[in-house]
Amino acid sequence: MAIRDDFEVATQQLRTGLQRFALVLLVLAAFIAMLIGKADSVLVEKARVLALDLASPALEAIARPVAAANRAIADLKEFTSLREENARLREENSRLLAWQTAARRLENENERLRELARFREGPEASYITARVVGDSVSAYVRGALLNVGRKAGVTPGQAVLTGEGLAGRVAEVGDNSARVLFVTDVNSRLPVQVERTRERAILAGNNSALMRLTLLQGMAGVQPGDRIVTSGSGGSFPVGIPVGEVVRGGNEGSIRVRPFADFSRLEFVRVVDYGITGLVNTGPATSDGQRTH
Amino acid sequence: MRADGLLARLDRIGRLALPGTVLLFFVLLTLAPLRVPYLSDTLPLLPALVVFQFSLATPERLPGPLLLVVGVLLDLLLGGPGAPIGVSALGFVLIRAAVVANRRYLVGVPFLFQWIGFCILGWLFMVLVWGFTALWTWTAIDPVPAMMQYAVVIVIYPLLAPLIARVRPRDPLNVPELSRGTAQPGETAI
Repeated sequence: MAIRDDFEVATQQLRTGLQRFALVLLVLAAFIAMLIGKADSVLVEKARVLALDLASPALEAIARPVAAANRAIADLKEFTSLREENARLREENSRLLAWQTAARRLENENERLRELARFREGPEASYITARVVGDSVSAYVRGALLNVGRKAGVTPGQAVLTGEGLAGRVAEVGDNSARVLFVTDVNSRLPVQVERTRERAILAGNNSALMRLTLLQGMAGVQPGDRIVTSGSGGSFPVGIPVGEVVRGGNEGSIRVRPFADFSRLEFVRVVDYGITGLVNTGPATSDGQRTH
Repeated sequence: MRADGLLARLDRIGRLALPGTVLLFFVLLTLAPLRVPYLSDTLPLLPALVVFQFSLATPERLPGPLLLVVGVLLDLLLGGPGAPIGVSALGFVLIRAAVVANRRYLVGVPFLFQWIGFCILGWLFMVLVWGFTALWTWTAIDPVPAMMQYAVVIVIYPLLAPLIARVRPRDPLNVPELSRGTAQPGETAI
């Protein structure tokens, strides 16, 4: 009995020793992974894309029932306010009809003026419609995963739109998946202009619901309610896509912009294939971009 | 060894694979576009909850290397540009080690104490991830969303944890794992 106990004690000590050693090894491995990730961003990018492609089918399977459930909840919520919603829509419709008349008149006028001036329009954009299969929203990142990728013609840097306005840009592309970085992400810097004054500015995300506007040429008269649109500087984005609305004016640095896109109900988005890869890939890519149009 | 029937074998394989599968499911669920307020924000911390609970219930079925792989996968899937790859793996491994080291005090005590244990380890996990992300991207990240996540996941723990795995006080308590299965009545009752 005593021999057996001794043996057990010895094996127990050996086991604890091994376990400690294993823990040290595992912690070391995690640190090495972090260091590799810091040092070799190309490798990390490849690994990310691979993981995305692998997870994408499973995510798509999860996304559909989740979307159905979300819709059901939204329907229930709307059911209670149907009457007010109807009244609001009727009012908005009459207002929009007036705008439509104005828009038609302006479009005609614009066309005639362009003919007169022999204005050459920029390349025409084509759209790729995608389903949002995953959110990558956490305390540290604001983004989403799409079910289209390189095979559908998606490349990094393309603009991603919702019905309301710009949602973000494509950050990583796999064969059948892509990751979008929202304009509200802390890494997002977007060249924009104030629609009313045509002032150029940079719109920076900070992972919160509102974005910060940094003006490049002073801050003359940005008011709450001003619309912010893309300026097309840098070339990768079309000009004039609505991005958001100024909710708080003031000094430079304290101007806050609310995005038009409603990130809490994204289900389908459009990826804009503008045909220009912009400053991201200059060189042979530009002639390639023009060839497609 | 006795030849097992097919069902028994399936049952055993299922039991062995369950923790890993549940963990993988919650890693994927992290990315699911759930639009439930509060709940969807807390999803990134749920894998840590799963790791804690299984480490408490059946640590032998959730080995460290598996945690390393799943943690790296979670970082790859979730991480934004510049975020550290492997910080979740580090957190998972440390949670498992902390739980396993203190298991004899955590198993067989009232549920409240397990909850407190999770509160402490969850807090450390959140601080670890926040700290490394801030260090790696070299930006001052607003800690409020991370704290909100933490607050919600703590409230969720008593609802979710018993569903994931039931922690049973195995008798006799405080017996080394090796001899637990073969212990005869009276042999260790001192």
